[in-house]
Amino acid sequence: MLLLSQIINGLQLGSIYALVALGYSMVYGIIMLLNFAHGDIIMVGGYVAMLTIAAGVHPLLAVVLAVLACVLLGVVIDKVAYAPLRSSPRISLLITAIGVSFLLENLAQNIWGANARPFPNSAIIKGATLNIGGVHIGTTAIATIVVSILSMVVLTFLVQKTKRGKAMRAVSEDMGTAQLMGINVNSTITFTFAVGSALAGIGSILYCCTYPQVSPTMGSMLGLKAFVAAVLGGIGSIPGAMVGGFAIGMAEVLVRAVGLSDWTDGVVFAILIVVLLFRPTGLMGRPMTEKV
Amino acid sequence: MAMLQVDSINVFYGSIHAIKDVSFTVEKGEIVTLIGANGAGKSTILKTVSGLLRSRGGAIQFHDSPISAAAPHKIVSMGLAHVPEGRHVFAQMTVEENLEMGAYTRPQGEIAPGLERVYAQFPRLKERRKQVSGTLSGGEQQMLAMGRALMSQPALLMLDEPSMGLAPLMVEQIFDIVKELHKDGVTVLLVEQNAQMALSVADRGYVLETGKIVLTGNGKELLEDDAVKKAYLGG
Repeated sequence: MLLLSQIINGLQLGSIYALVALGYSMVYGIIMLLNFAHGDIIMVGGYVAMLTIAAGVHPLLAVVLAVLACVLLGVVIDKVAYAPLRSSPRISLLITAIGVSFLLENLAQNIWGANARPFPNSAIIKGATLNIGGVHIGTTAIATIVVSILSMVVLTFLVQKTKRGKAMRAVSEDMGTAQLMGINVNSTITFTFAVGSALAGIGSILYCCTYPQVSPTMGSMLGLKAFVAAVLGGIGSIPGAMVGGFAIGMAEVLVRAVGLSDWTDGVVFAILIVVLLFRPTGLMGRPMTEKV
Repeated sequence: MAMLQVDSINVFYGSIHAIKDVSFTVEKGEIVTLIGANGAGKSTILKTVSGLLRSRGGAIQFHDSPISAAAPHKIVSMGLAHVPEGRHVFAQMTVEENLEMGAYTRPQGEIAPGLERVYAQFPRLKERRKQVSGTLSGGEQQMLAMGRALMSQPALLMLDEPSMGLAPLMVEQIFDIVKELHKDGVTVLLVEQNAQMALSVADRGYVLETGKIVLTGNGKELLEDDAVKKAYLGG
């Protein structure tokens, strides 16, 4: 029974990592950029939800507003910071992403202060514990897992079956040829940022409901771990990001369960090192071939 | 006026002047070929026409509209399709998904009849329509790349080295298809290293040497031209 509730914990944390990892992987898949500002989009989503609820907005509407704010921010970051560098070396893009990340964290600190502030999680999900056959499961855990899996199902449908989604896969595989099909590459990239940021927004709300506080730097560790999840799954691979997210969540919970709480972050980054050393393409990534 | 009119384009890779004052035309209903050695600039010219590369100065007109500053996806929707060198199928997508991508600029209702037409032309693709296209043979990939381009219902089809890397029998087959398409009213601009093959199907040809057009004539004339024979047809 204890094992089962640990598995639920792992799924809960893992599904949040998976949602965030998807944003990293999709953006990397399409423009080969490790978008280090992705984690900070989560932070902004958390603040928007908290502040709008505090201002008296209905919590559901606040959640929608927070996700929309993330989408808007993701698209604006791409247009302002990354789009002008499309034909620049990838290292310029990477450094810019790190710069955007610092900018967002410091702006947040300036505007909202450096201290962590409580997040009104009970306004969004009523906290309660259900006893299912002797296993105690929190409503937050159930909601997190269900919402994440639904989001991933919708994403999979979008990418596999819709015209936009197929265009995304085409651009990610071969940008030049995608253009020859009549696909507008720039609008496809914008769409990718929008979708990835929407997932980050959803992840942000779920994360804040699980760990009910917001701070200007809350996105950086979450973002880094989701990045590890994306690398573990195979960066650029959508199913890989999902698998990687759940795997990292499980690993963290198991490390904690055996009484090594202090080691959780260490173990996650050790996984990164091991993957990079022995299987840099991750569990489900494509072999890296340079396009000529 | 010609369907495609290219007027003194100049293309640079960094400081390398790859295409020097190249002009040519393609009339409606023709098969026109650009032949020349590896590195002569044939692919560069096609990429410039389809908007992937830009010319410094000069002009390109398609159906009387200037296209030299248009985005590649706009050019496709005007009816100009480009089958790139090396085929470039989307290897991780299925055959049918590749074909659907070819119809990206067309209304949704045209996809099913388009697939039917392409499958009639390339029965092999129909057999493999659910297969991931990276697993196709070279010849099948060439058929897919051509079928994909035809999904956009092009008025002008540009083929870049369709025979490259294919077995002789498959080369014959690909050229038979080119002739069929031509009969169906598709205008073709064909780039080839296999000059013999290209000139035998073409109405007219241009010979390209280090970025310049050095000779032009109809297919037969060029096949019998001494300089062409010597340089490209093995004596």
